[in-house]
Amino acid sequence: MQRDLGSFPFPPHLKRKLSTSGFRIVEDLSDVKPTELSKELSISVEEALEIISTVKKSEPRSTLQRGQVRGAVSALELLKKETSSPGIVTFCEEIDDMLGGGVPLAKITELCGSPGVGKTQLSIQLAVDVQIPEAFGGLAGEAVFIDTEGSFIPERAADIASATHQHCKHVAELQGIEDQISAVEDFTPEKILSGIHYFRCHNYTELIALVNLLPNFLEDHEKVKLVIIDSIAFHFRHDLDDMSLRTRLLNGLAQSLIKMAVAHQLAVVLTNQMTTKVNVGQSGISHLSPALGESWGHAATIRIILFWKDNQRYALLYKSPSKKETTVSYQITKGGIRSVDHQQTVMDTMKGTADESDSMNPRKRLKPDDPDNG
Amino acid sequence: MASKKLQRIGIPLDLVMRLKRHGVYTCKDFLSKNQLELLNMTGLTRTKLQKLIEDVSKAAQPEHTTVLDLYQRRSGPAFFPTSLPSLDRLLHGGLPCGTVTEIAGPPGCGKTQFCIMFSVLSTLPPTMGGISGGVAYIDTESAFSAERLVEIARCRFPDYFGTNENLKNLCSRVHIYQESTCRQLQEKLDMIEEDIIKYGIKLIIVDSIASLVRKEFDSRLQGNMIERTSLLAKQAATLKYLAEAFFIPVVVTNQITTKIGQVTSMQAGQHETERKAVLEDERGFVTAALGNTWGHSVNTRLVLQYRDGDTDRELIISKSPVSPAAQFVYSIKSEGIVLKGTEDGSKLLDLREGDPCQQKICVKTPEQVKLCP
Repeated sequence: MQRDLGSFPFPPHLKRKLSTSGFRIVEDLSDVKPTELSKELSISVEEALEIISTVKKSEPRSTLQRGQVRGAVSALELLKKETSSPGIVTFCEEIDDMLGGGVPLAKITELCGSPGVGKTQLSIQLAVDVQIPEAFGGLAGEAVFIDTEGSFIPERAADIASATHQHCKHVAELQGIEDQISAVEDFTPEKILSGIHYFRCHNYTELIALVNLLPNFLEDHEKVKLVIIDSIAFHFRHDLDDMSLRTRLLNGLAQSLIKMAVAHQLAVVLTNQMTTKVNVGQSGISHLSPALGESWGHAATIRIILFWKDNQRYALLYKSPSKKETTVSYQITKGGIRSVDHQQTVMDTMKGTADESDSMNPRKRLKPDDPDNG
Repeated sequence: MASKKLQRIGIPLDLVMRLKRHGVYTCKDFLSKNQLELLNMTGLTRTKLQKLIEDVSKAAQPEHTTVLDLYQRRSGPAFFPTSLPSLDRLLHGGLPCGTVTEIAGPPGCGKTQFCIMFSVLSTLPPTMGGISGGVAYIDTESAFSAERLVEIARCRFPDYFGTNENLKNLCSRVHIYQESTCRQLQEKLDMIEEDIIKYGIKLIIVDSIASLVRKEFDSRLQGNMIERTSLLAKQAATLKYLAEAFFIPVVVTNQITTKIGQVTSMQAGQHETERKAVLEDERGFVTAALGNTWGHSVNTRLVLQYRDGDTDRELIISKSPVSPAAQFVYSIKSEGIVLKGTEDGSKLLDLREGDPCQQKICVKTPEQVKLCP
């Protein structure tokens, strides 16, 4: 190994000592013991050990067969993993289909959208849905909700949680499967709410600190299967004048997040704002595009854009490694995210309980004297 | 706690001094550097540095709660009642505490009236539907009228405000700040924490957030708009922080602007058809001012507008985390805002949801203007 020792991440004083004692390349250190090195450079034994282990780590293992890269996983294994772990459903069938069975684990998904289109609503829905018991084909996980904008309303989460509880109860009663009925007993709205870990970040420093410490948190809370940051953009769009610093910090965040996502097999969902871009060439016609610039576009594996058109909400799969670009419609009801056309069929299956079919009907739900709204 | 000084979090003094030499004083400075930079500054080995980063992160990290705790452990009411029963019902009980509510509308539609009415309400004792707190009223347009405040109070609650003592109490609890430049406003917002504690303030009103920035920033210059956007985002962050730290509602008012054509929603495929739509809709439409980025900053947006050929006005819930889109008819009387319709729920018009940033707002029609003397 001819690699220069100066290229390793050693503190400056150690680098200086190494070079003055004549250690230039990795080979020079190959047979040196930590105690010898510590004596020679007059440094502590711990520091010497650190130097040697860092250098050793970078050496390629000779025991490995040629052509096989260390840590490689065959695509077959990956395929098994991907098909065995279900995604997190959104309760809107079209969006789930678009993503191939919900928001996937071990990936970063970004939701972009203009104000009020439902980014936070979809995030809360996902935080609830990740907890659906295994008997229903859910993940029975927990969620971490990192709120940077202060737009999280616990009352709203309670609404969605109780609607999800109701839904599962109905499914269990209709199908009459023992497992499901006993699972739903535990799946109370209180349990759902206690399964969402909430952090409020008031500035980007807090966000970075939190992401630094999340791996520790995840070790203590192994059930967490979803990390939401709502929104990644807010603090980075004010408070930071230095654009290159912003890019660097954001890239650092994205890197730690994807590392976490893979290590713990959890889904990471980020929301992003939209910004107005003015095309000078086109007679001042402006259009909306996701904030934080072009390079941030690479950070998320899957990018969904939520937008309004003719008073209808749409979700567009803008970037995905496995699915094609599609646009689907969805709506937000008191119970959370729902599909638009599916409404009628859901109502049919729900027949018999007047109360529930009532809340499944969007028109009726708008009634201000709906007892649920009180 | 981003501005926490490094020496206060218990890291060795020599490290603090070494970091200081590189201009790193606080957790914020520290966490903005990457590992290699920190390695060079501190002279630590990697494992030790990892530990240091962890320690600093711990000092700056936000608190952990579960939503259940949040839901159950709320001190005080989570919503500020507006005394308009049907609006309260849709909003789960009023304006949500801890968030920013915006009232947008054309001139003379009643934005300030809403603000003055809210001021009266917040000073009322809880038994009468108030929250018994002071009001910080930041007035940038000099539109506040103490006379009107007293009038609304007298007409709306004739029994309670029959005595001069209660009226005096009301007036002394509404604190007016008149700010006339963006800079003053930002300085005021940075300082207002002291006043909130001193006077027991439970409602912050900024009337209006738009007037100053629209006066000071010429929208024809491109660079100006970027600066304006970041200033507004800063103000929004400050307001949100105050709302949350004290768990109180914040109300801001916004003006309206004319948009020419439609904002296309990106995609190349849709571009062609939408551009055609732009040409057809040359006349433009009126919508809430301050643009898209500001729209992200408000949690609830209420839009006021005039009704065609009518002296009544409409209130629209345009963006809300808890309520579907809805529309109410109201009129302004001497007792403030009064919703039209029966007591148990005003007429709810058939309204489809739409993009709050492109919500069309009706202004006075030429006939209405002619009617005015």
